[in-house]
Amino acid sequence: MSATRTQSIHAEVCVIGAGAGGAVVAAELAEGGMNVVVLEEGHEHDPDKFTARAPEMLAELYRDGGQTMTLGAPPILLPLGSGLGGTTLINSGTCFRTPPRVLERWAREFGLEVDERSLRPCFERVERALSVSEVTPELAGGNAAVARRGAERLGWSHGYLRRNARGCVGSGVCAFGCPTSAKQHTGITYIPRAKRAGARIVTGARVERVLTHGGRATGARARMASGTAIDVRAPIVIVAAGTIHTPLLMARSGLGGGSGQLGSNLSLHPAMGVFALMDEIVDMAKGVPQSFYVDEFAAQGIVFEGVAGPPAYVAMSLPLTGARHAAAMANYRHLAQFGVMVSDSSRGSVRALAGVPLIRYDLVDADLQRFRIGLARMRELFEAAGAREVYLPLPDGVSPQGARLRDLKPMAFHPLGTARADARATHGVIDGELAVHGVRGVYVADGSAVPSSLGVNPQMTIMALATRLAFGLLGRDVEDAQASLEAA
Amino acid sequence: MPNGSSSPACTSEGVPSGVRDPIDTFIASAPPLQRTGMRLLVALARRPRGAALLARVPATNQLAQIVLVLGHYDDPAVGCALGWDGAAVVARGRALRRAEGRP
Repeated sequence: MSATRTQSIHAEVCVIGAGAGGAVVAAELAEGGMNVVVLEEGHEHDPDKFTARAPEMLAELYRDGGQTMTLGAPPILLPLGSGLGGTTLINSGTCFRTPPRVLERWAREFGLEVDERSLRPCFERVERALSVSEVTPELAGGNAAVARRGAERLGWSHGYLRRNARGCVGSGVCAFGCPTSAKQHTGITYIPRAKRAGARIVTGARVERVLTHGGRATGARARMASGTAIDVRAPIVIVAAGTIHTPLLMARSGLGGGSGQLGSNLSLHPAMGVFALMDEIVDMAKGVPQSFYVDEFAAQGIVFEGVAGPPAYVAMSLPLTGARHAAAMANYRHLAQFGVMVSDSSRGSVRALAGVPLIRYDLVDADLQRFRIGLARMRELFEAAGAREVYLPLPDGVSPQGARLRDLKPMAFHPLGTARADARATHGVIDGELAVHGVRGVYVADGSAVPSSLGVNPQMTIMALATRLAFGLLGRDVEDAQASLEAA
Repeated sequence: MPNGSSSPACTSEGVPSGVRDPIDTFIASAPPLQRTGMRLLVALARRPRGAALLARVPATNQLAQIVLVLGHYDDPAVGCALGWDGAAVVARGRALRRAEGRP
C-alpha cells in the first residue's frame, strides 16, 4: 500500500503555465508585491544542452516532440513549445502589435473595450522588457535578401521584422533552442524577474484542476511525476496553459462551460513553406531565420514570412522525394525558403479524449483559396528574385490554382481562441478583463483568450493582454508605471 | 550555378548528441498512436521489401521518408558536407554566453 504525499502552498495568486501569458502576468504581479506561485508542466532548459540538432531538440523542447497534429481536412502539424518560456522558447521571435483593424473588430463583434491607445503602454512595456527591435539587413541573412529582391522588383510591400532578441549573431536555429540566449523568451526574461520578486516557480507540475468553492477560486491542484500532489491555495488563479490545454483544464475543473464556447473557435494561422533553388549561395541558416516579411496581400489574409533552418530541418520540409530530394539537398547552400501564412476564417475545436487533446480543424474554402493565391504569388516572388527552380509544396502536376484540400500539407504555429473573450457571458468564456464568466477569481492569460485570428504572430498580443490583466489586478495604471520606467 | 560542390569544410567535430539515438528519441516523444505508427513505418522503410510495399502508398511513404531524411541529415558529417557547421554555431553560442554573462 502506498500513500500519496500532498504538499500545500499558500499564495495570493496561482499562475498555471510559464509561456507568453503566464510568465508575464507572474512577473508583473510579483513585482507589484503579490505572493505568486507558478505551476509549469514542463522543465527549465539548460542552454548548455542545446545542440542545434533537430530531432533531439524537437524531442526536448517541444510538447509531443513537435508532432502534435490536428484531425481534419487537411491534417495540420501544430508544434508547441514545452518548458519555462512555453512556445516563446522555440518560436522565431517575431513581434507584431495587434493590428488596429483587429482591435476594432474585437470592439465591434465581441464588445471588448481594448483599443490601440489603451494597449499602447502595455506593448511599450513588453517591448522594453524583451529588447524588441528591427532586424538589421546584415543579420537578416541570404533568405531575406532573396525575398527582398523579389519584392522590390515586383513593387510589393515588405520590411524587416521586429524581434525580441538581444546580442543576436544569427545562429539560425531559433526553433531548436537559441545557443546564444539572444532570443529574449519569457523563460530567461520574465521568469527570472518573477523569481527575483519572490515568486515560487514549480516545474514538472501537471495541473489537474482549478479549485473553486461557492463560485470563487480557491487554488489549483497539481501532480508531480513522482506522484506528489501539490495544492496551491490562492484566491486568484490565472490559467495560462496555452490554447490547446487551457480549455481542457477548464473543462476538467467544471469552469467556463456556460456559453458552450469552451474549446471552440480555434484559429491557427495555417502556413506552408516554399523553396527555391538560387544561383547565388543563400546559406539560409546563417542569419535570423524569420527576419523579413512581405505584406502586400495582408488585406486578403495572406502574409509571407521568412523561415529557415539547418539541413535536417530543410530535409524534412522539402516537398520532394527520392533522387530529386537528394539533388536539391546537395544544393542546400543555394536553397531559399519563405512561408505563406494565412489569416484563417476556418475554426476548429479542442476536446479531451481519454485525457489527450483531440484537435479538430477543417480548412474552409476561403482559406483554401488564400493558399492558392499565396502559393502562386510566392512562386512569382521567387521567380522575380531570379530563382532557377521553385519547389511548391504540392504534388507533382498540381498547380496552385488547381490545389485541393488533400493536396495541402500545412503547419500552424499560432493557435488562438479556445476560451475566447466576449463581454457577453452567452458568447464567450471570459470577459473583456479576461475573467472567466460565472466564477470569481479565475482568469485566462494565453492565446486561448484571443477571440479572433490576428493575421500576425501573436506573442506580443498575448503578452500585452497579460500585462493589462496584471495591472488591472494590482489596481495600478500601466501608463503611469511605464512613464516612471521611461523617466528612470 | 548551383552544383552542390561549394561547401567549405567544417572547422570542428560535430556536436555530440545528448541522446544515444536521436531518431529513436524523436519518435519516442510523439503522441502514443503516432509513435506506434511511425515505428512501424520506419521499420518497413528500412527493409527492401517493406520499402517496396510503402512505395505503393505515397502519403505513408512520405511520412516514413521524412523521418529517415531527418536522421540522415542530422548527422554532423552530412551537415558539414553541405556547408552547415552546427558544432561551430553551438560553440560560438556557448562562448558568447560565458563571455557576456548571458543566461
